[in-house]
Amino acid sequence: MQKLNDHEKMALEKIAVQNRKNVLRLMKAGRMGHIGGALSAIDIITALYFKIMRVDPQNSDWPQRDRFVLSAGHKCLALYATLAEKGFFSHEVLDTYGALGSKLGGHPDMHKVPGVETNTGALGHGLSIAGGMAMGLKMDSLDARVYVMMGDGELAEGSNWEAAAAASHHRLDNLLVFVDRNHLQISGPTVDVMNYEPLDKRWQAFGWGVREIDGHDLKQIVVNATDIPFEKGKPSVILADTVKSKGLSFAEDKVGFHYWKASDEDLAIAERELDEIEEGIK
Amino acid sequence: MDDLRDPRKTLGEALVAAAEKNKNIVAISADSSSGSGLTPFHERFPERHIEFGIMEQGVIGFSAGLATTGKIPFAVAIAPFVTSRPFEMFRNDLGYMRQNVKVVGRCAGLTYSDLGATHQSLDDIAIIRTIPGVTVINPGDPVDIVKAVHAAAAHVGPVYIKLGSPKMPVLMDEDYPFQIGKGVVMQEGNDVTLIGTGTVLSKAVEATRILKEKGFHPRLINMHTIKPLDRELVLKAAAQTGKIVTVEEGYLAGGLGSCVAELIATEQPVPMKMIGIDDQYCDTGPYEELLAQYGLQGEQIADTVEQFLA
Repeated sequence: MQKLNDHEKMALEKIAVQNRKNVLRLMKAGRMGHIGGALSAIDIITALYFKIMRVDPQNSDWPQRDRFVLSAGHKCLALYATLAEKGFFSHEVLDTYGALGSKLGGHPDMHKVPGVETNTGALGHGLSIAGGMAMGLKMDSLDARVYVMMGDGELAEGSNWEAAAAASHHRLDNLLVFVDRNHLQISGPTVDVMNYEPLDKRWQAFGWGVREIDGHDLKQIVVNATDIPFEKGKPSVILADTVKSKGLSFAEDKVGFHYWKASDEDLAIAERELDEIEEGIK
Repeated sequence: MDDLRDPRKTLGEALVAAAEKNKNIVAISADSSSGSGLTPFHERFPERHIEFGIMEQGVIGFSAGLATTGKIPFAVAIAPFVTSRPFEMFRNDLGYMRQNVKVVGRCAGLTYSDLGATHQSLDDIAIIRTIPGVTVINPGDPVDIVKAVHAAAAHVGPVYIKLGSPKMPVLMDEDYPFQIGKGVVMQEGNDVTLIGTGTVLSKAVEATRILKEKGFHPRLINMHTIKPLDRELVLKAAAQTGKIVTVEEGYLAGGLGSCVAELIATEQPVPMKMIGIDDQYCDTGPYEELLAQYGLQGEQIADTVEQFLA
């Protein structure tokens, strides 16, 4: 288990703001994208890459590396932003988002983007793939871990529950799932569109160790994610309560910002808000 | 034609032999592993056989994840359940992700003759061949099955292998050079070319024999690989024999016949006949009788070819 002191927390918060700025840079280039889920997940993704995971940007195929699977592939703006900040590719690549032939598409492509582990986009694929990775690492007695980011709306895909059962059955305790529970999906509140609550009991019933945290609290993220398995021999899941579009006050918790077509004025306001957040970190 | 072998037993033995040579090979089953011929594998390599139960979407996804760590999964299950059911996983997790996974669909075609349309797999070749980068192999006899397993293990990339379940006659020489994407001329001829594949290759062989007895000179090709298609061999056959007949135990839409038609229509147009299952859900009944219902017995194929040539 790893605990962040206040100094470390502040440093990580600054990186999280910078990653949000990177997301805006992507938006500035592409003008449209899945902003809401990217900004609800970005604190977790930031903590994973800067405090939790064992990765080497200079050697992205290193066999002993930890893996990150973005099952909810539409949150890719957060992943691109973080990978650039971590040094997997230059920040200039962010400016190509949305252009013909860019490496950075609206969903991630492992063959184009260094550091991306899987081609996701269609929901309900990532957990099975991650389970296979975790299984393969165990077969080779490697101590690497596999981290997965899923959306709460995504959990309606039945394939996830096949994977959840198999991961538990095969005792994949090197697997940690984050459910980015921002409570919204494209057409409304997740509990109204298709209710899978209570998520804690569902995951427990599938044989997982479960914890619930504030998905924007970096201390909570790090202390829990570095404490797996939560239960011996079981895969672990963190139900992270988050706010869609977190960091942009005009967009927070608003269904309409699942996918954002940003104007110059919007982007200017967003930039000012992030500057204010950055100045407030102390 | 007298040496009959069980295709699933043949698969299982070949997989053990391949796994002896390559420690990265793992076997994946979705329940009924013994029905998939995996018992010898399980006995020899228990730690390399992973059972998933009845979750074929999960099987494809987990196989993709295993492949990212260097494993070479052979996922073996009933054909429609590892092709049409998890098609999106096949397309995205294996095809788009270019993962080194081998999917074996067993009891394909009409071989679940008694179990009906849910279990008969007539569309697998049609749908899987649409996925860029996936190799599709339809072995014509037990020798082909063994060679296909070793070739798939050596090939880097996703492969689909289609198998039947009734015993198949040995048609090929044990030491013939099998190569993915290279059809085999089994009989030279110059007035028509029969291109057979998979479980009904033996019926095409019988048809060829009958036609020869009647004075025709048919060429016969074993097209064990549907994708990539052996374009050169097909175009040569079209140019040299002027007429082509395809024979397959699957839907005409999208199958071998379609592959060949797509090629020759644009590159070397010649008259063509496609023998297989037209747009329908098939009846149930004894396998050989079912084949006869759809014109896939040797004599019927010979009759069809004779009429085509008339």
